[in-house]
Parts: sequence; C-alpha cells; structure tokens
Amino acid sequence: MLYYNQTRRFSSATGTLIIMYKLTAFVLGLFSSHIVWAESTQALSTGNRFNPQMSLILDGNFYHDNQKAKGSETLDNMAGMGHGVGFAEEEAGLQNGFNLGESEIVMSAIVDPSFDGLLIMTVGSDGGVALEESWLQTRLLPNGLKVKMGKFLSGMGYQNSQHKHAWDFADQNLAYLGLLGGEGFKDTGIQLTWIAPTPFYALFGVEALQGNDQERFGTRINNADAESIIATTQPLADAKAGPRIRTLFTKFAPDIGDSQALQLGLSYAQAQQYQQLLDSDGTPLNGDEVALDGKQTLYGLDWVYKWDSAGEFGQGDIKITGEYLRMKKNMTVSTTGTSAGLMVGDTVTGSQDGYYLQASYGIAPRWLIASRYDVNGATNELNLAGVKTDLKQSSRIGVSLAFSPSEFSRLRLQLAQSSIYDDAGIKTPLKQVFLQYTHSLGAHGAHKF
Amino acid sequence: MNRLLLAVALSLWSALSTAAINVVATTSSMGMLTRTVGGEFVKVTELALPDRDIHTLQVRPSMLQALRQAQLVVAIGAELEQGWLPPAIEGSSNAKILPNTLGYFEAAAQVPLIEAKGNADRSEGDVHPLGNPHVQLDPVRMADIAQALAERLAKLDAPHTNIYRANAVAFKTAVNNQLPHWQQLAANNKGVMLYHKDANYLLVRFNIPLLATVEPLAGIPPTASHILSLVQQFKGKKGVILHTVYQGNAGIAQLASQLGWQHMALPLEPANNSAQQAYFALIEQWLTAAATNK
Repeated sequence: MLYYNQTRRFSSATGTLIIMYKLTAFVLGLFSSHIVWAESTQALSTGNRFNPQMSLILDGNFYHDNQKAKGSETLDNMAGMGHGVGFAEEEAGLQNGFNLGESEIVMSAIVDPSFDGLLIMTVGSDGGVALEESWLQTRLLPNGLKVKMGKFLSGMGYQNSQHKHAWDFADQNLAYLGLLGGEGFKDTGIQLTWIAPTPFYALFGVEALQGNDQERFGTRINNADAESIIATTQPLADAKAGPRIRTLFTKFAPDIGDSQALQLGLSYAQAQQYQQLLDSDGTPLNGDEVALDGKQTLYGLDWVYKWDSAGEFGQGDIKITGEYLRMKKNMTVSTTGTSAGLMVGDTVTGSQDGYYLQASYGIAPRWLIASRYDVNGATNELNLAGVKTDLKQSSRIGVSLAFSPSEFSRLRLQLAQSSIYDDAGIKTPLKQVFLQYTHSLGAHGAHKF
Repeated sequence: MNRLLLAVALSLWSALSTAAINVVATTSSMGMLTRTVGGEFVKVTELALPDRDIHTLQVRPSMLQALRQAQLVVAIGAELEQGWLPPAIEGSSNAKILPNTLGYFEAAAQVPLIEAKGNADRSEGDVHPLGNPHVQLDPVRMADIAQALAERLAKLDAPHTNIYRANAVAFKTAVNNQLPHWQQLAANNKGVMLYHKDANYLLVRFNIPLLATVEPLAGIPPTASHILSLVQQFKGKKGVILHTVYQGNAGIAQLASQLGWQHMALPLEPANNSAQQAYFALIEQWLTAAATNK
C-alpha cells in the first residue's frame, strides 16, 4: 500500500496506512463498501486544453521525367470523354528538379458536446492558400448515426477519403485522375452515415453536395469563362439550385480475425448538372467549339485487404487495394460554333472507366515497398449524335520504396513508367522518378482504415 | 420437447448475455482485468493480439463494429493507443464511449504515472510527456485500476455494485498475497536492459535497476555506434536484455553476445481472453527472466 501516495484517491483515507499486505487487504475487504474510488473518465492527452490540436504536414520532392517536365501536362490531357476544356485553377506542374509540395495545416477540436470540427488548409509553393476541408461532425447522435457538414472528402470509394500524406504513392492514380481529378472528390454539403448493428461491419452513407468544387465530375462552367472559348453569348444554362451532386456508398467488412481485415465498398454518385466545352482543335473562338449541358453518373467498386503481421514497425504487413470506377454522361448540345459538326439539341453520351490495383509489403521494420498498376479509359467511348468514337486507354506501372525513420517522417523513392494517350490518340511514353519527403509535425497522427 | 427446452434455454441465454455490460478492451491485460472485476456481468471483446505493438496497431473495420455496440471501452491510455483508438472510436459513431463519458476508461488515468515530462519535444523520439503509459506490468497499480474499474462498472450497472467491489478487492488481495513471492524473485537483482521503456513499471515496483534501453530514443532503433557505446559501458558487468516478442532488432542479439548476456523475448500482455492466473504467470515470467542475470 505504501508504494505511492494514494490518499487523494480515497474519500476516507484514514486507517489505510497499514504496512502488512494481508492485513491491508483484510481491512480493505471489511470496509470496501466505504471506500469509493474516484475513477476517471478522462483520456490523458497532450492536446491543448481548449485550443485546437494542430499538425503540419510538410512535403517536397525531387522529380524528373523524360518529357522535359511536361509530365503533369501530359497527365492532365489524358484521353477521356469526361474532360473538356479546363477552367480549374492551373496548378503548377512538377518541374524537373526540386519541387515543394503542398504544406498542409490541420486543426481540429471538439467544439462543444455535440460537435467536432476540423480545418485543413494547404499553402502551395507559390504562397497560394487553398481550403482543403472545413467541416463539423456530430458526436452524440444515437444508433450509429453521424452527420458531417461543410467541405469534406466524399466517403465514396476507398482512396478518396484517405489524406494525401497517407497514400502509398506520391501522386494520384490514373483512375481517379481521369474521372475525379488530382484532388479527388470533395465538395461542400452534408453527409449522413449509419453503422448497422450487425455482427459484421456495415456502413451506409448518403451525401448531398453543392457541386461547386469539382475538377472532373459534375463540373460547371460559368458563361464568362465559356465565352472566351465559344463565340456566342450565354452558351450554357444557368446553375441549377444546389445540391447538384448526390452520392450513396456502402462498405462491408466481415470479421476475419485480429490480424487481417477485408473491406468491400460500393459507391454511386449522380451529378444533376454537368457542363462541358469541347474544342477539338484546341484553338478557341474558331467555330468548331461545342457547349454541352447534361448529367453524369459514377459507379465505384472498391476492396481492401490488410494483413497485420507481428513484426515491428510494419515489417511483414501486407495491404492490397483495388478500385474500379465507371462514369457515364448524358448531355445535350446547348450551343455550337459556326463550323461545329453538331446541332443544338443533339445528344452526346459517353462512358469512361478506370481502375487501379496496388499492393504494399513491409520488407523490413520501417521499410515499405509498394507497386501499383493504374489504368484510365479501358472503356472510353464518346457518342456524338450517334457517331461513336473510341478514345484510347492510358496505363501506368509504378513501384515505390518508402523508409520511415520515425512515425513522423517518411522518405520515398518512386519510379513509374506509363503510356499516356491524349484525345487525338497520340501516345506519350512517360517515365517519372520521385524522391519525396513527407513529414508531419505536431499532434500524433492517427489513420482510419 | 427437447427442442422446446433448447429454445427456452437459448432465449434465456441470449437474454442473460444481452444483460451483460458490453465492454471493448484494447489489450488482453485490460480484458483480463475487466473480466476479473466484472465476472459474469461483462462481455469483453479484446481488440489487439497480445504479441502486437500497441503503438503501431492499425484500425480494422471489425474494431469499429465492436465499438459500435460497446457500453464501455477499457484502454491502457496515456496516448499509448493514440495511433488507432481515437479514429476507431470516432468511426464507430458511438456517443456512449467518447472520452470524458462514463463509457471511456483509461487505466493510466486512474493511477500516478512515472517518467512524466513537463517539457518534451520529438527530438527525444516518440515520447509520452504525460508519463510512461505501460502500466499493465505493475500488479499493484493494476489492483488499484481494478478498484477504479469496479466503481465504473457500478455506475453502469448499480445493482451489482457490491459484486464488482468484492471482485476488485479479491484481485487486490490476490496481488498482495503474491507480492512477497515476487519480491523474493526480484531480490538483489543486478539490473535489466530493456529494448524500449515498456517494462519500467515492473522494474520500479520490484526495485530492479534499469541499466539502459537498447533503443537510444523512444521509437528510434539503435545505430551501430549506440550498440558499441552500450557494449563499452556494460562490458564485464552483469545483466540481461529483456525485450518484447515484437522487438526483433538485430542490435539486441549483437549486444547480448558482445556482453555475454542472455537476451529474452517476452510478451507484454497475457494471452487473449485469459484470466487472473495468466496475468500472474506473466509477472512471474518477467521476474524469472530478469533474475537470469546472475
């Protein structure tokens, strides 16, 4: 009993300073109903008491490609019926040599008993600030329900809701890049999830999203931008009232023991309004441009398998991930240039898919090797008023080797070789090398499945 | 008739089993303690296998499922499970088990911690400024944690308050009965070298000197020069290297052979779903191993 000072823990501490263990236990037994332990519900935490927990993620790389640093541009122009003339803010492509990635600032806190809040901002190498995520999430809803509101990564797919610094590769896979864009699928809106009270894990989610922040899926184009490409006034319909994107997703995970996990996911997303400008010769305002208005749907299938070995710091751990995404569009020509082959009111449809398969293995404590095969446009067809065009498939194979000196830092070498086709069917053989660092400072990181 | 009896028995059994408090324990030591205190009135699910490093465990969907249904989480705490328990609790969408509610119990929050640091930064490795979280190898602290846990179970299930308290006292009595034997095992120990500071509570409790840790900083593996400096420091002295089953650094064997010491891999946790005896056997196993340094 005299191992440390316990008096503060007893409401009646008198009489407990007895040296013999057995006698102590006897006395405790006799008076146990009078001794009430002040047990604590606290989670011991180094987090600041009321200030948000903060962490910084610093990222940079040495990059080289065989296309005189046109790698990013080549990938942006990868053949796909799901992209037209782009108006998204031009992100500076990777240069051959040193590149500073996005520096990420993450702040999160418990707002009050009912809500958690989180903010993620990134600062680009040019000093430009972007809001990545800003959301509130309920804490107290009963029966496995949770509501998230604000700007967040959609729960569809598997990789989509993983943060960039948790990826096994330095760059976005071709399936996401072609169908959703480099930043993935995130938007402003509301998400409701429910975990069913089943003996296996089953999650169901639904989202209503505004449709303002999309690079590829459910993109809108404002007429001022459109008029700089197509020589008509008001070429496109006005924005419909939001929310313009809805998603449904579900994940199932049978319990297959404490050292492995398997999860299957299905997703569906629908964009009520999708606008596209096609300019086949790439020269604006010369008559061949077409403005399209319509809808888009996206289907996704994802699966993840993880083996957690008894090795230390990830040695022997295995992770295998695969995702398949398929997108369809259903559009009507709203305006054409003077020499375009299409007429106003013509139907333009198309479908495009993409998939990736990646596997990682902990070859030694702190060393992770990963390989990825990713494809965009295995199906990649465009149907312009009954005339079908097949766009080419782009594919890539890559390997990465990562070393984490501690839980807070990682160095990674990544090599990739790809065949990227553009809309005109011209192939670019792209070879890329990344030597990347990703370090996190501040609050101890925690990653979801 | 037999079928009817079976059906009645099954429905009774399911009624009884749903009446038990649904507890999720992060490790098997916490599971053992919960079963010891809760007896038949708790149903315990353990999340981690006993041979895994709790620091680096990853979230599995089955954890979320177990937590979704839980009325109480029993964790070691003090940020030991920081990498996976907070996202698992968040992902379980269960408001009953959030920190600072009756459904959340950290063992480390019930007892005084050693090695707390007012000022710490990550140049010292993955330190725990709140104190060393590995409280489970101190049987005396575990007995105190059992009493705090009994009070918590009493708050969740008042009708069985006296049973929980009596079970906790019985555990404490059993620990106190064992202490003289354990102290005898640990007497006059020349000292132990650990790989990581994960058995410090045991060493402090039984006055066994901690000679050094093989890793220079928490969570940072030793370099060859660090191993060499340990060899120079302890050459010709008595000792033993104890490490956990998941710590397989090549430096351990190298150091042991250069010093002429034994090195042994021991579990930090009793087997899954085990009882008090298995925990006592674990303490005995560590103390016996520590005594091989003569």
